[in-house]
Amino acid sequence: MIATRKYAWLGLTSARSNLAYLAEVAARTLFLGVILFIFLQLWRATYAESGAERLGGLTLPQMLWYLAITEAIILSAPRVSHEVDQEVRTGALAVQLVRPLSYPLARLGMTLGERLVRFALNAGVGALVALVLVGPVPIAPQGLAMFAAALLGAFVLDFLALFLVGLGAFWMEDTSGLALIYSRLTMILGGMLLPLELFPEAVQPLLRALPFAGIVYGPARLFVRPDAAFLADLLVRQGVAVAVFALAVAAVYRAGIGRIHANGG
Amino acid sequence: MLKPALRYLKLAAAYTRLNLRAQLEYRAAFVSQVAAMFLNDAVWVVFWVLFFTRFPVLRGWTVEDVITVWALAAAGFGLANAIWGNAMPLPGLIAQGQLDVWMLYPREVLSHLLLGRMSVTSWGDALFGYVVYIAFVRPDAAHLALFVALTLSVALLFIGFSVLSGSLSFFLGHGGDLADQWRNAMIAFSTYPAVLFDGAVKVLLYTLIPAGFVTYVPIVALQRLSLADAALALAGSVAVLAVGVAVFYLGLRRYESGNLTEMRG
Repeated sequence: MIATRKYAWLGLTSARSNLAYLAEVAARTLFLGVILFIFLQLWRATYAESGAERLGGLTLPQMLWYLAITEAIILSAPRVSHEVDQEVRTGALAVQLVRPLSYPLARLGMTLGERLVRFALNAGVGALVALVLVGPVPIAPQGLAMFAAALLGAFVLDFLALFLVGLGAFWMEDTSGLALIYSRLTMILGGMLLPLELFPEAVQPLLRALPFAGIVYGPARLFVRPDAAFLADLLVRQGVAVAVFALAVAAVYRAGIGRIHANGG
Repeated sequence: MLKPALRYLKLAAAYTRLNLRAQLEYRAAFVSQVAAMFLNDAVWVVFWVLFFTRFPVLRGWTVEDVITVWALAAAGFGLANAIWGNAMPLPGLIAQGQLDVWMLYPREVLSHLLLGRMSVTSWGDALFGYVVYIAFVRPDAAHLALFVALTLSVALLFIGFSVLSGSLSFFLGHGGDLADQWRNAMIAFSTYPAVLFDGAVKVLLYTLIPAGFVTYVPIVALQRLSLADAALALAGSVAVLAVGVAVFYLGLRRYESGNLTEMRG
C-alpha cells in the first residue's frame, strides 16, 4: 500500500509540474485545431460524395469527435522512450537505481501523471474545436466512465511499449528510429486516421487483435459509441497485451541492468 | 548573376559534402534515421491508399494525385532541410544570439548560415518523395523531369517559409513555439489535397500558409504537363523566399549577440 502511494505521489508531482507550464502546453495544442479542421473538410467531402449518412457506423459529427479523441491520445504521448534512452546512454540510470524505488514503476507513475494532464488539455481543445465545427454528440455519464476505464488501460499499455523501446538503448546506438516506427504503427494500425471499420474487411480481425487498437481505436470508439460488450472485450485484450508487455519489460530490464558498469565519481 | 549563383552552388555542394561526411561517422544512426523517416512517410501513403480503396475519387482527385502531393511535399521539404538544415532551427539560433559566428564570414549571412547544418531525417523525406513518385505514379521522362524541377521549387518554398517564420524570433524573442505552430500548419496543409478547401481558407493557402504552391499549382502543372503552371508555382516559391529574406534582414537590425564562445570545425 505504501509502495503504491509512493508511485502515485510521483504521478501527482509530475502532473503538477506539467500544470505549471499550462500556457506553454496550451499554445502547442493550436496544431490540433488545424488538424481537426483539415479532417473535417476531408470527411465532409467524403460523406457528401458517398451520399452515406454513416460511414463505419459513425455520423459526420461522431467521426470528427472520434478523430478529436484519437488525436488527443496520440498528441499526449509522453517522450518516455527518449528519456529512458538518455538515462541509459548517459549513465544517469545508475543514480536512479540507488533510490528506494522500482525504476520502471517510478517511470510509470510519472508518465501517467504527465499524460493525464496533456491528454486532458488536448481533449479539451479537441472538444472545443469539434463543438464549434460540428456541434455536440450525445455523451452519457456511463459512456464517459467506460471511456475512462479504457483510457487508463491504453495509457499503461502505451507506456510499457515506449519504455521497452527506450530500454533498447542498452544494445542499440540510437532508439529514436524505433520510437518513430512504433509511433507511426500506433497511428495507422491503431485507427487514428481511419476507424477500423473502414479498413478492408480482411484485415480488420488482425488489427483488432493487435495492441495498437487497444491504445487508440478502442477508447475513441467507446467515447462516441459506448457499448458494455465492446468495453468488456477491449479490457480483456488490453489486459492480455499489458501482461505480455510487462513480462517483456521485466525480462529486458533485467538483462539491461546486468550490463551497467558504474564507475565512481 | 550567373557567376555568383554558380559560386553559391559550389559552396552548397562543399557544405553538403562536409555535413554528409560528418553524419556518416555515425553510419548506423544515419541509416536508421533515414529509414525511419522513409517509413514514417510511407505510413501516410498507406493511409491514403486505404482511404481511396474505400472512396476511389475525392472531388475529382484520385489516389495518384494525392500520392503526387505527398511525393512533392516530402521531396521538396527533404531537399530543403537536408542541404539548408539551419532553416528549421533558425528561431533558436536567433533567440539565443548564435548568429555571431556567421556574421564574421565574408559571405552574405543568411544564405551561408542556412547551409551550416544537415537534417539527417530529411534525406529520408527526399528519398521517399522520389521513390514513391517513380514507383506509384510510373511517370514518363517528361513528367519525371517536371516533377524533379517542381521539387526544387517546393524546396525553395519551404526554405523561404522557414526563414520567414523563424525570423519572428527577431521581433518576439522566444518565438520558437509560434514559429513551430505556423510551420506545422504549413506542413499539415501541404500534405492534403487543396481541393478540399474553399473560400477564405483557399486565400490563406496562397498567402499566410502558402501550401497551395505545393498541393495545387504543381499538381495542375503535372496533370497538364504545363510549363506555365510550373512557372506559376516557381513564382509563388520565389515570392515567399523574397519575403522571408526581407523579414530576416529587417529583423537582423534588432539582433543581439548571446556573447557565446563557439568553435566550428
